[in-house]
Amino acid sequence: MSTKNFLGQFTGHLIRYATWLPPLIWFNTYVAQVTLINGPSMYPYLNPQYHESLRRDLCLVYKLYAQLDLERGMLVTFRNPYDPEKITVKRIIGLEGDVVRARPPFPHEYIEVPQGHIWVEGDGEKSKDSNYYGPISVRLITGRITHILSPLNRAGRVKWWEHPSHRAGI
Amino acid sequence: MPSFLGGLLGPPLRSAIFAGKFLAFTHLFLEYGYSTAPAHGPSMLPTFEVLGEWLLVSRRYSFGRGVEIGDLIAYNIPVNDGVGVKRLLGLPGDYVLVDTPGNSDNAMIQVPQGHCWIVGDNLPASRDSRIFGPVPLALIRGKVIGRIKPFRFQWIENPLKRVEGP
Repeated sequence: MSTKNFLGQFTGHLIRYATWLPPLIWFNTYVAQVTLINGPSMYPYLNPQYHESLRRDLCLVYKLYAQLDLERGMLVTFRNPYDPEKITVKRIIGLEGDVVRARPPFPHEYIEVPQGHIWVEGDGEKSKDSNYYGPISVRLITGRITHILSPLNRAGRVKWWEHPSHRAGI
Repeated sequence: MPSFLGGLLGPPLRSAIFAGKFLAFTHLFLEYGYSTAPAHGPSMLPTFEVLGEWLLVSRRYSFGRGVEIGDLIAYNIPVNDGVGVKRLLGLPGDYVLVDTPGNSDNAMIQVPQGHCWIVGDNLPASRDSRIFGPVPLALIRGKVIGRIKPFRFQWIENPLKRVEGP
């Protein structure tokens, strides 16, 4: 095969593969995405060994209708209100209208979650959550964590309904 | 049937895949290139009329990338599921009036990090940051760069001019 022929075929294949990129991006934006979890904010539920190893949890983020039918206890991913380029994972503690007991450094002890907002907190101690930036708008939510894929001994569905905050409702 | 249409309609599976790829490409263009936003409502009078105008939005500025004071921006309204168009009046760190000028004690707040302050041009008829507070930059969909009227298109530029220092 001549070089010219080879290059021609190579470009042809490249272009054919490239046409699958837009469907892939659409799928990752609107249906589901696989992502690695950084940091200790959801310790001990996610990344329980963050202080022992560099291995991070691999999770499935489900994105279809992620902003609808939210419930307390769910794990959601959202764009950080303090840094729009960062996606953050936290647990929903309060829905719109709930009165939530905040922790320092939040300036008030109790707060009613305003319309269209939710109160999110991390499971771990080292978590910058709604106690730092206040209730967040539901519109910031990009997806829900529904499955842990790796490590295998904890792989499976995220049973968010077993978390105490699901029944809290103060 | 002309041959090119025959090729397009070809085997059903292949044409379905082609249609899917085309739709996905359109989504990519609307999400990262250019899209439109409605200019309904009285909140932006006299810049936009109450009815009958559509706006061209550049999605390059989504999530507040490179927006400046005075820009018109399309944003996801934080308290409901609509899309609004307002003028950007404050970026992180700026001090802004909490209320309408001359309405109360002229209290000011500092816009928190990662947020912006947006206000409509028609102050009495606009629901904006004066009501729902600072808006996260992540809710910005893009910058309004043009106005689409029936049979007429008009570019929109930031009316504020940078003043050279002494």
